[in-house]
Amino acid sequence: MIARERLNQLKEKFGPAIQRADLPGDSRLFVFVEPSALKAICQHIFRDLDARYVTSIGLDDRPCSGKFLVAHDFAFDRDHLLCSVLAYLPADNPKVDSISDVVPGASWAEREMRDLVGIEPVGHRYLKRLVLPDGWPDGMHPLRKDVPWNHVPAGYDEEREFTFDEPPEGCMVVPFGPFHPTLDEPAHFRLYVEGEMVRGCEYRGFMVHRGIEKLAESVLTYNDIPMMAERICGICGCVHNVTYAQAVETAVALRAPPRAEYIRTIMLEIERLHSHLLWVGLACHIVGFDTLFMQSWRIREPIMWIAEKISGNRKTYALCVIGGVRWDITPEVRAELRQVLDKLEAEWRAVVAAVSKDKNIQKRTRGVGVADMTLVKNIGLIGPVARAAGADIDCRRDHPYAAYDRVDFDVITEFGCDVWSRVVVRMKEVFEAIRIIRQCLEKMEDGPLQVPIKDELPVGRIGVSSVEAPRGESHHFVITGENNRPHRWRVRAPTYQNLQAVPMMIKDQQLADMTISLGSIDPCFSCTDRMETIDLKSGVTKVWSQQELESMTRRGKA
Amino acid sequence: MSVLSKLKEAVICLRAGRVTLPYPATARPVPEKFRGRPIFDAAKCIGCAGCASNCPSREILVVDLCQEIRILQYLGRRCTYCGRCADVCPEKAITMSHEFETATNCIGDIRQRLDLFMSTCQRCGRCFKEPSHLEQLKQKGYRFDDVQNERWVLRSQAYLTSEAAVDDMKIEI
Repeated sequence: MIARERLNQLKEKFGPAIQRADLPGDSRLFVFVEPSALKAICQHIFRDLDARYVTSIGLDDRPCSGKFLVAHDFAFDRDHLLCSVLAYLPADNPKVDSISDVVPGASWAEREMRDLVGIEPVGHRYLKRLVLPDGWPDGMHPLRKDVPWNHVPAGYDEEREFTFDEPPEGCMVVPFGPFHPTLDEPAHFRLYVEGEMVRGCEYRGFMVHRGIEKLAESVLTYNDIPMMAERICGICGCVHNVTYAQAVETAVALRAPPRAEYIRTIMLEIERLHSHLLWVGLACHIVGFDTLFMQSWRIREPIMWIAEKISGNRKTYALCVIGGVRWDITPEVRAELRQVLDKLEAEWRAVVAAVSKDKNIQKRTRGVGVADMTLVKNIGLIGPVARAAGADIDCRRDHPYAAYDRVDFDVITEFGCDVWSRVVVRMKEVFEAIRIIRQCLEKMEDGPLQVPIKDELPVGRIGVSSVEAPRGESHHFVITGENNRPHRWRVRAPTYQNLQAVPMMIKDQQLADMTISLGSIDPCFSCTDRMETIDLKSGVTKVWSQQELESMTRRGKA
Repeated sequence: MSVLSKLKEAVICLRAGRVTLPYPATARPVPEKFRGRPIFDAAKCIGCAGCASNCPSREILVVDLCQEIRILQYLGRRCTYCGRCADVCPEKAITMSHEFETATNCIGDIRQRLDLFMSTCQRCGRCFKEPSHLEQLKQKGYRFDDVQNERWVLRSQAYLTSEAAVDDMKIEI
């Protein structure tokens, strides 16, 4: 009972500050604590017990408990335990001690909490607006329950300008994005450059918010959300679909039938295959090696076709509903999938044999975009970025879900900490994914695809689920609610953590290496920017370019 | 060493041959299970509104003009072709077709409107018995959506406001 052991450790140290605890199983621990002791407890968990920081969640719980709720999620990877530390805050003055100076990776999550729920992180050193658009009125927090989902705030100030930080002494500013040939999605990096060397940068993102979380809490119902969740990301959509379904299932103590678990595993691995092949292609494209870009995408194409055959679509598989899956893997598809995997494996082996000795790629990627273990720990980096720095973490093994506890696979680690190591990790993971799918096809048992739900899903239960997406751990936090929909659903996509490390990764590197350093985390801005309540249709992006043009001309005149 | 890699890479390219498809001149046939534009069959539909209640995009609207006539309107503007409507339909009146080239400059081309004659049971129409899961969780029976303004009305709302909702999509036709 590792969960109980960890709880006892906390109780011994903090005693009365621990108000109550919930141990729904041996792999989940929810600890409710005094808000005044929250920071000390998080510090203890993060530094002394050496847990990995996952994310922070703010929640307007006033309709239920009359209070605000804040939660910090940690993962004990070796103990196979996901832990939430929760604290209730008073409704009239929701303030909480910021943990960002002991857990640097919590910086964004706390800024987001401040923007969207209005919980003030006291002691946070960089309280710039993160998520909300610049013209959004102060004191208006869209994720609060008294704000309707389609609310358009009065006093939206289109003229209000974003104030950038002052660049360091002696540095030039080079704007990178929001539209740039090597960026597939909009994000703005303001690079501080000294000659050819990048000395720092300021990130400005969250330009593609869609308000999915708010919609889920106010309009959609449990079984609508999986179809919306997979639209968080175009590449790892199925991951969000499965993570959401699993989070709700753990919250209400429901288990999908074994066959459904195998099918989920297969689809997740198919997605990893296509994502890794896509990424290797893109990385080659970024360093100017388009031959391999084309070949890698050609090898990937049969995977898309088999996914289309199984689910009816190349991407957005619409796989899960609560309690199971919708698509079966028929014997014919099974045979075809085996053939596709055999061909893919042979072709990929040839590519790996060629690329792993290719000096040109190595020259562009070795020693570039370095993220070492300290950074991994502090920011909470995950996925291939962490594994390329020697961190032996993988949710598939550490927090087993679906059928991963019944298959045998290796977690690939490298120790170069640079972009090249990330290339190697991803190239090798392709073979592991093929291995996993083959085992699943072998072991898959017959049976139902969905478990019938006979009763209303219970209210007020907390569920968390972590799924290893191709880019890293995708983490969903759900509190079940009334009216057949979650009370709070928080999505933490892998890029959310990995992107926070980019300024450190590109520091003191050549400007030309910026694109591949950024590309090496496989950034997905739509995952990161997943929520906001203002619609792009109201012209926010358009207004921005106009405004920037205007301010440019103004500056030109002066 | 690197020359060898380059040669290997050249072999990979040469082996691949030509793989580009002649699309759009000829489209590659889609698999049997392909989820394209949903097609509604008025002859089979019993007007249970299960599809409307389960549509994640809220693109299927239902309104009862009188006791006997129910209008079911599929808008298709932001339909994601997820196929949930076809899943829950008890009469298999909705099929996910193989149509995917649905780009149009007139949104009305995708719209489908079913005028359904309902049997006279006032409570539930010809009520459908739903066979599988989530039975209790679904809304059933009469609905009152705003067909004129093409928007889905939340169950909690008892009346219709006259002005269009802010998020309504206006497409010039």
